[in-house]
Amino acid sequence: MKTNILYRSSQTIAQCWLEPGESLTAESGAMMGMSTNVAMTTQSGGIGKAISRMFAGESFFRNTFTAQGGQGEVLLTTPLCGDMVVLECGRTQWLVQNSAYVGSSYGVDVQSQGSLKGLFSGAGLFALATQGQGDCIVGSFGAIEPIHVTGEMVIDTGHLVAWESHLQYKVTKATVGWIDSWLSGEGLVCQFSGQGYVYVQSRSTSEYGAAIGALLPPRQS
Amino acid sequence: MTQHIIKHQPVFAMLEVQLAPNEVLVAEAGAMVARAAHIGMAVKLNAPANAGFFGKLKAMLIALIRKVFAGETFFVNHFSSPHGGWVWLAPALSGAIKHIVMQGNTMLFSAGSYLASSGDISMRPRFGGCRSILAKEGAFFLETSGVGELWVTSYGAIEEIHCNGSYIVDTGHIVGFDASLNFTIKAPGGGLMGLMASGEGLVCEFQGQGRILIQTRNVSALVQWLTPLLPG
Repeated sequence: MKTNILYRSSQTIAQCWLEPGESLTAESGAMMGMSTNVAMTTQSGGIGKAISRMFAGESFFRNTFTAQGGQGEVLLTTPLCGDMVVLECGRTQWLVQNSAYVGSSYGVDVQSQGSLKGLFSGAGLFALATQGQGDCIVGSFGAIEPIHVTGEMVIDTGHLVAWESHLQYKVTKATVGWIDSWLSGEGLVCQFSGQGYVYVQSRSTSEYGAAIGALLPPRQS
Repeated sequence: MTQHIIKHQPVFAMLEVQLAPNEVLVAEAGAMVARAAHIGMAVKLNAPANAGFFGKLKAMLIALIRKVFAGETFFVNHFSSPHGGWVWLAPALSGAIKHIVMQGNTMLFSAGSYLASSGDISMRPRFGGCRSILAKEGAFFLETSGVGELWVTSYGAIEEIHCNGSYIVDTGHIVGFDASLNFTIKAPGGGLMGLMASGEGLVCEFQGQGRILIQTRNVSALVQWLTPLLPG
């Protein structure tokens, strides 16, 4: 699979080229367009995997696109205005923030970690782990910026997109006390240590939602 | 001058600040994206440095009211380290970031425009006048003065207008302006009919010489557009 990222950094799409017979997997609803010789099948990947994906805030199903009888093209997009990057998987594996997953090439398996740590740490930090060889496309809300962690770095959980899986991380309060953490507006942060790259997004959906949501009329039940 | 880079203008701007050893960066609560772990972060009340007990009490009260009801805060985070280091900041809305150097002058900013500051900058709320209560924006301005640097943010891109004599801006589009300008908040067409029918809301009429920063989008307009689309 060859991928072009077009219209960065606020209206990004991924243009994926498939060799004959090659396939890619994409988040449900991510396909914007494709050539007519591409066949789409919906997979749940087994009920257990599908349920654990649902816990991760991802969709139950994913779609597989296969080029038949020639090369094929698939265009992938995200619901929000934002950026995309291609993560190379193989020597380096990645952890992807649940809602950032867009699609991946055939050789890459992207599964929720299913760890209790992820489930109970709050802030939706339930990451998907990549396995295998190939590309994984991730999308964001806002622009994507790589941050090179050398030593220790503190990152707001709402701004995380993906990080190299060999980095150590733990989710903590932004400051020592709970009251200070609430007043600081930072809530929970992720403390990274080691050497490697973390991709952050320049906006946070929850902060945007809080800013606009406060101005909207109350929901009628 | 504080070493900094602003990336991804004007839609998804993000600010990277390289702090010198012991330099203090003050930022709006919740604006931090990332920081080096050795940089300390402390929550402080955004009160004038010379405020007495009652001044601090008043600021505290306003802060709590705003935190609970308006989603905005009057708390700020102070970042610093004996070794210096990087801090990344971003606002909540899709918009730009503008760097402003303050040399003892005073500027007024709309609530929500403030992102960060360094140096000796003092801030206090200023009431926009009785009529401003009608408008969601412009009821309070943030009055900033001193010597240092400011980073302000917008919804949409930021356009700088030089007011030479007089100029009128929709209150929802004001990011900030020089305190050298006199301003009155009023209905654009004059009278109640003008306010209701024009769809322009309230405007701010400036008089004098100075800079006006305006934003190319209006949060109230977004909310007005969005509200009827929500499920009932």
